Amino acid sequence: MKVSVPVVLGAALLLGVGSASALRGQAPTTFIVESPTMTTGRFMPRDYSPDGRNLSPPLSWRGLPIGTRQLAVISQDYGAGRPPPWVHWIIYNIPGDAQGLPEGIPFDPDQPMPAEITGAVQGNNGWGLPAYRGPAPPPGSVHNYHFAVFALDEELNLPPGLDRGELLLAIEGHVIGQVDMVTLYERQPMNEFPR
Amino acid sequence: MTDSNGRRPAISRRDLLRTAGAAGAAALVPGAVAAVTEETPATPSPASTGEVQGQVGGSLPSEPAPFFARPLTNLTARETEILSAMVDRLIPSDEMGPGALEAGVIRYIDRALSEAESDAADAYRSGLAALDTYSRYTRGGPFIDLSTIDQDSVLIDVQIGAATGAGVGFVGGSGSFFNLVKSHTWQGMFGDPEYGGNVNFAGWDLLDYPGVRLRVSPEDQRRMEAGQLEPVRRSAYDYSIFE
Repeated sequence: MKVSVPVVLGAALLLGVGSASALRGQAPTTFIVESPTMTTGRFMPRDYSPDGRNLSPPLSWRGLPIGTRQLAVISQDYGAGRPPPWVHWIIYNIPGDAQGLPEGIPFDPDQPMPAEITGAVQGNNGWGLPAYRGPAPPPGSVHNYHFAVFALDEELNLPPGLDRGELLLAIEGHVIGQVDMVTLYERQPMNEFPR
Repeated sequence: MTDSNGRRPAISRRDLLRTAGAAGAAALVPGAVAAVTEETPATPSPASTGEVQGQVGGSLPSEPAPFFARPLTNLTARETEILSAMVDRLIPSDEMGPGALEAGVIRYIDRALSEAESDAADAYRSGLAALDTYSRYTRGGPFIDLSTIDQDSVLIDVQIGAATGAGVGFVGGSGSFFNLVKSHTWQGMFGDPEYGGNVNFAGWDLLDYPGVRLRVSPEDQRRMEAGQLEPVRRSAYDYSIFE
């Protein structure tokens, strides 16, 4: 099932994603980001949360800007964190010819990355962990989860473990494309989904 | 494993769940407590107490059972299984030496729950049950049956508090339970063996702790900094001034 609707960023939302700026004098172009299991504006499956297996979700992209050499992804919640956003996932050094991210990127730094994204590394999320940890909003509240995908004009080959601010600073001036896919999540307590 | 100077690497390699699953885990001993019902206190396996094969055989029948062979007094068999699997992921056995199970951490915790940490008994009871329920709910099976990768993933969720909102019964937050067990595991691994853990000084060896010394000469200091000081492996309570 591939039902995702890509979200194309306007300038205002672009500012909200972070401070990473585009090449001087050029606005980042847009491209298409989808997921085989998630839909923009809809609730994500619980297996991408601590109510399930807490796997990183799959993403795919197409129509990347010409000259894309690497990509970076930040998953974040602007409704949490002091100050917001709360960062759930950071992955970068993704090869420019990758067509997306498979489900379940290893959280153990000693485990190899999937072959199609060899060289990719993970940064530190809001918990200080170099791994994906999914949505865990307070019970009864619905939060938005942004998957911001950055197309970069250079193979930056950054060290692992960067936090959001460090990554945005490192990619500043190298962003030639940027798209934000937004999904939702609400906790699904056990008593509502008995096994 | 040693570096080029013959010293062990720093403990940070094992700093749990920062690099979850980085070290290989020793397999648990299935059925180690199978003879005990879930409701009765358990007698842990040698693997979970640090008991060395052959030690029990040296005791005469009339002698009191060695500390490491006595039944646990607080943890049930089921709780012992779950806690054993948990501490085995916190400090697994690997090429650097024995892990928490072999160092007797389970027996340390069980004893502490009767003594200085008796206030934590209810937290263990509810926390271990919640951990197992959370594993069944989110990963489809009891914690002890999960792969080590899934066990680590569960423990990360428990550690960061994300398991709290799943409604599985963590009292006061899953992170509190995780920190409680982690703290006791560290105590049992690296504390004085007098308290029941750190069997065969496994924890002190791991840290390259030079041991309890009543005096340290300049020559001792020099040798220690050079990684050449022979460690003292005696409990502090073996010294008369601590009795």
